[in-house]
Amino acid sequence: MTEFDRASIRAFRFTGCGFDADTGEARLAYAFDDGPEMVETLRFPGAPFALDAARADAVQRALRLLHLVAGVSYYKAAVPPEIRIGGEGIDAATAALLTSIYENGLGEFAYRNGLSLRGKIHFPVAAPVGGTSVPMPVGGTSVPMLSGEVPSGLKSLPPYVGLQPGRAMVAIGGGKDSLVSIEALRALGVDQTVAWVGSSPLIKACAERTGLPTLNVTRALSPLLFEINKQGALNGHIPVTAVNSVILAMAALLHGHAQVVFSNERSASYGSLIPGTGEVNHQWSKGWDCERDLAAHLRSHVAADLAYYSLLRPFSELAVARQFARLDRYDQHFSSCNRNFHLLGERPAQRWCGVCPKCHFVFLALASFMPKPRLMAIFGRNLLDEADQAPGFDALLEYRDHKPFECVGEGRESRAAMEALSESPAWREDALVKRYASEIRPQLEPGDRGLAPLLEPSDDHGIPSRLWERLRAHFGS
Amino acid sequence: MSRRHRWDTIGQLMKRRAEETGARVLVVVSALSGVTNELQALCDDPADEAGTQARIAALVQRHESFCAELGLDAASVLGQRLDALRALGSDPRRAVGELGWQAEVLGQGELLSSTLGVAYLRSQGLDVGWVDSRDWIVARPLPNQTQWSKRLSASCDYVGDAALRARFAAAGPALRIAQGFIARAPDGGTAILGRGGSDTSAAYFGALLGARRVEIWTDVPGMFSANPRAVPDARLLWRLDYEEAQEIATTGAKVLHPRCIHPCREAGVPIWIRDTGRPDMPGTVIDSSATTIPGVKAISSRRGIVLVSMETIGMWQQVGFLSDVFERFKAHGLSIDLIGSSEANVTVSLDPSDNLVNTNVLDALCADLSQVCRVKVIAPCAAITLVGHGMRSLLHKLSDVWAEFGRERVHLISQSSNDLNLTFVVDEGIAEGMLPRLHALLAQSGAMPVTEAAVFGPSWRRIDHPAGARPLPWWQASRDRLLHLAQAGTPRYIYHLPTLRERARELAGIPAIDRRFFALKANPHPLVLRALETEGFGFECVSRGELEHLFRSLPGIAPDRVLFTPSFAPRDEYAAALALGVHVTVDSTTPLLSWPELFKGRAIVLRVDPGFGHGHHEKVRTGGKGAKFGLAAEAVPGFLAAARAAGARIAGLHAHIGSGILDAQHWHTVYAQLAALAEGIGTVGFIDVGGGLGVAYDPDADPFDVAAYSAALAEVKSAYPQYALWVEPGRYLVAEAGALLLRVTQVASKQGLRRVGADGGMNALMRPALYNAWHEIVNLTRFDAPEGDACEVVGPICETGDVIGRQRRLPEATAEGDVLLVGHAGAYGMVMANRYNLRELPHEDVIDD
Repeated sequence: MTEFDRASIRAFRFTGCGFDADTGEARLAYAFDDGPEMVETLRFPGAPFALDAARADAVQRALRLLHLVAGVSYYKAAVPPEIRIGGEGIDAATAALLTSIYENGLGEFAYRNGLSLRGKIHFPVAAPVGGTSVPMPVGGTSVPMLSGEVPSGLKSLPPYVGLQPGRAMVAIGGGKDSLVSIEALRALGVDQTVAWVGSSPLIKACAERTGLPTLNVTRALSPLLFEINKQGALNGHIPVTAVNSVILAMAALLHGHAQVVFSNERSASYGSLIPGTGEVNHQWSKGWDCERDLAAHLRSHVAADLAYYSLLRPFSELAVARQFARLDRYDQHFSSCNRNFHLLGERPAQRWCGVCPKCHFVFLALASFMPKPRLMAIFGRNLLDEADQAPGFDALLEYRDHKPFECVGEGRESRAAMEALSESPAWREDALVKRYASEIRPQLEPGDRGLAPLLEPSDDHGIPSRLWERLRAHFGS
Repeated sequence: MSRRHRWDTIGQLMKRRAEETGARVLVVVSALSGVTNELQALCDDPADEAGTQARIAALVQRHESFCAELGLDAASVLGQRLDALRALGSDPRRAVGELGWQAEVLGQGELLSSTLGVAYLRSQGLDVGWVDSRDWIVARPLPNQTQWSKRLSASCDYVGDAALRARFAAAGPALRIAQGFIARAPDGGTAILGRGGSDTSAAYFGALLGARRVEIWTDVPGMFSANPRAVPDARLLWRLDYEEAQEIATTGAKVLHPRCIHPCREAGVPIWIRDTGRPDMPGTVIDSSATTIPGVKAISSRRGIVLVSMETIGMWQQVGFLSDVFERFKAHGLSIDLIGSSEANVTVSLDPSDNLVNTNVLDALCADLSQVCRVKVIAPCAAITLVGHGMRSLLHKLSDVWAEFGRERVHLISQSSNDLNLTFVVDEGIAEGMLPRLHALLAQSGAMPVTEAAVFGPSWRRIDHPAGARPLPWWQASRDRLLHLAQAGTPRYIYHLPTLRERARELAGIPAIDRRFFALKANPHPLVLRALETEGFGFECVSRGELEHLFRSLPGIAPDRVLFTPSFAPRDEYAAALALGVHVTVDSTTPLLSWPELFKGRAIVLRVDPGFGHGHHEKVRTGGKGAKFGLAAEAVPGFLAAARAAGARIAGLHAHIGSGILDAQHWHTVYAQLAALAEGIGTVGFIDVGGGLGVAYDPDADPFDVAAYSAALAEVKSAYPQYALWVEPGRYLVAEAGALLLRVTQVASKQGLRRVGADGGMNALMRPALYNAWHEIVNLTRFDAPEGDACEVVGPICETGDVIGRQRRLPEATAEGDVLLVGHAGAYGMVMANRYNLRELPHEDVIDD
């Protein structure tokens, strides 16, 4: 590619995709204008896949959806005004879903880059069969679809493709959340394969620690993307959970699993409120709106017997932290830190940077539920006794600062956790707990400090009803 | 005890000791391996009848098959013992797990193994008698002991008299075998000694019988000056007195349980520690030797320490405060180790325990304590302990140790009045990897008198790899040539290009590294630069002067092969570097804000401070708040905004954490941090992890582990393949290739200390004076002469600090005119030389053969 000039780019093109059942390799291709193709490759382990016609068709539909969703990594490099889709085109429902994923999922990216993307992302809708393809703008808010509703423009409902209802493809991330899900599903007797995308030694170590069957999908972004990045392409967060969800949905179809399970909590649905900008959610694709729409779309457009849901959706971060404290086999293996994320280390300092919002939040959340020496053994240091970390914890408490752009719990969860620590003789003399008690606490409404209500599950979730009551009991105190 | 050859060894040793000295030999044995754990499992779950029967059946099977292996008939040798074991399974006391029953169960392992051993050794023709330890070792209940510990963690009498000794002598043959771990309970049943089992039994027997000595046979050669696993340079301790040994055993060494020292000390029985794998190595002798050598004998560290700091809230000089708080620790069953106190505060340490980690006992304790004081839990901490006699008189030698703790949080310092122990309790994070450095500092400063050959033996490294794998240094083969060169005048630096190329090619062979730069501040000699250019290296300069020197020395070099990494340089140096087209590193936002026009449209490199520094001396650590280098991670967003405003693009990230780093994990950590940062920046194409590769200045030290370095880089590289990896070593390439030749000016003695004077000192080579750096020094003229007494090698500069080396064993005949060689002097040697005292600068020669 010659010098990358973002301003001169007119269109982002989906140029084609393919899957080789003999090798398990998927190829996703994109381009800007008439530039060279950017080709991303994924490899699904377990090849060769001998699929019957119905399953093969479903895999093809999942691949197509993956192509569209994964395009966000490339689209965002230039955010050109036009999007062009090669091949047979997409229906209005698909266009609506993609518009929502791109617009909302690039929210923080747009904010950080000083862009406004609302209402400017148009996925062209193919005319009904026989017509010509005309771009048809679709509104940018999420369009919930109930299962069973026939989406307009679709030739026919997707069939049941004979997936095994008792088997689940469970995403593992190396952090506390997916480990809580995996142990909960184990307790509920669900047959699991733990799966992850990319090569992270830390995730691999955690996955092996579960003792369950594992599946690692490798994903290689196009090298051209790195080239144009060096030349000043736009960069920032993409809705990676949406991409990984579709990747694991495809893996589930290939392996005959009827469930795709993620571990996003309730708090992921809430963004940061930024004065003058409104809500920006760093983790929008981990939120309930995205899960609900994607789950409905997978049922209506990919396979009717594929269930995609987050097992932790009804629960707060604190409820999940409490649940994690009841496990003990992962203390020296897991890490929720995003900075040291890809790496593995036997020393706490190699797994936890100790200064990022994730480290701050997980530390605070676990502190309420486990003996202090155990938490010290996990982190190797006491973040709450480091006075210079006050700004980081203030941000979590939504005190003087907006919520950080990271996947952390709600401000009231952090406040409730801090409140509980300020009552604890083992914690209350630590520098930041003391500071909370003397400086922040007096400014809070008494009703805004309780921990118990935050441990109650809520109703918005997509967990299959046959699991829900037992899961709820499993999480009970 | 579970292998036939072990019993053969025991038999041979018994025979040898008897023959050597005509002594009577009593051997105390433990159970077959794993058996005690199985018996403990029986006791832990006595109500599980089926499980109990299954475990007993497995134990019977295990012993029967070992009998078969030893060629013995199980029924006649062990029949009765195995019946007794089975009977315990159906004992009425079992269901409730009665303590006396538990003790009997736990003792079965030793009863079985000793019976087996006696039968086997008799079958081999040795006249060996079987001793029931319970006939001799009797538990004595202590006032505060619980019923449980009276029975299962018993203490015993160890004062014997002539009558007892005579009775024992008459009770069997000269060679006998007894059980460890068990004793007679006051009710006539069995009691268990608990931790330290068979070593403690041996100590009791030794004291009771007034033995010539107690030999502890184990799997290490003895006690070391530090844990050899953490500190390969730890030295074997030949000789310790009881007090020191007790202290070392208590503060970390696993080789000997501290309990077993006291009885031997009271009875004056020496303890020998011996390695079954190295039976001829003398090992450690613990006794009350006539001369006690003052100094640090060992250093240890313990992790997972919890400090509880208690502030009085009552009245000034409140009576009974300590008793109030200690009462509460006792009530929660927590045992206190260290104590520090002032009028208003008492701080104590708790050793790590499962109890603390897995239960809420600490919360409960704090809740209780908060009724009488303000309590603060300080954790996680590590306790670093120095052990040795005369600690108080050593404090002045510990300044480097204090400096190592530096600005870090030291929460408690404890020094007991027996003058044997100095303990620092610090944040656990900083103790990581600190022990090897502290050990080296103690040895260097003389606080640990490693030259005392009666106490300090070989290092674990030498015991483990006795070959001494260091290849011959280049200068040894070129000795005559060097002596000839020295005739042209000294001080004189010699650089050996083949050695330089060898190091360069080693790094070129690391696949993860994409580009290599030589930090030319280490040695800017034009021929060195030319040789490295030929080897494919680029260059890193830190000043305009270095840039000009480089382009003068290598006129054709492409600017893309040059990095400019200045520190607080003036504006015109940046302008000049940008004009040359080299890669320019910026390490604070100030230049971008002050001189934005300089950087418009430029690609720049951002130097980040990874937040920590490492290295062989505080002055060479370049990361962390105390160092002037690098942008703090939290300032990166501001830097990005300033770069955007100035129109500059960040093409690379750079970090350099210090010098003399041996642990490859440090680059792994830095690389990962930079890569994670690069992902958020987007325009970054390369990551420069700096240099800092350690050099083995000491011939006894292991060379830098290039394979581990390569593997650590490869791991991160595979996680972030999109970034090119750059490195910029300096010292590592040139140090070994250089030597400094000096001539002896005078040899003089003052109050018993021999000083060898040289014609160059801190003027020719600053490192020893500046960093306490250690360089090998040899007398090249008398290379084959035997080592003499330790001396100091000093320079001609009028400064007390002008010492090139201390405690050097130069030949006794060393005299005026001899040529001395200072090794590994190729880095930061000539380039830091100066004309202080108006002495001439050294000469330089380059040799290539």
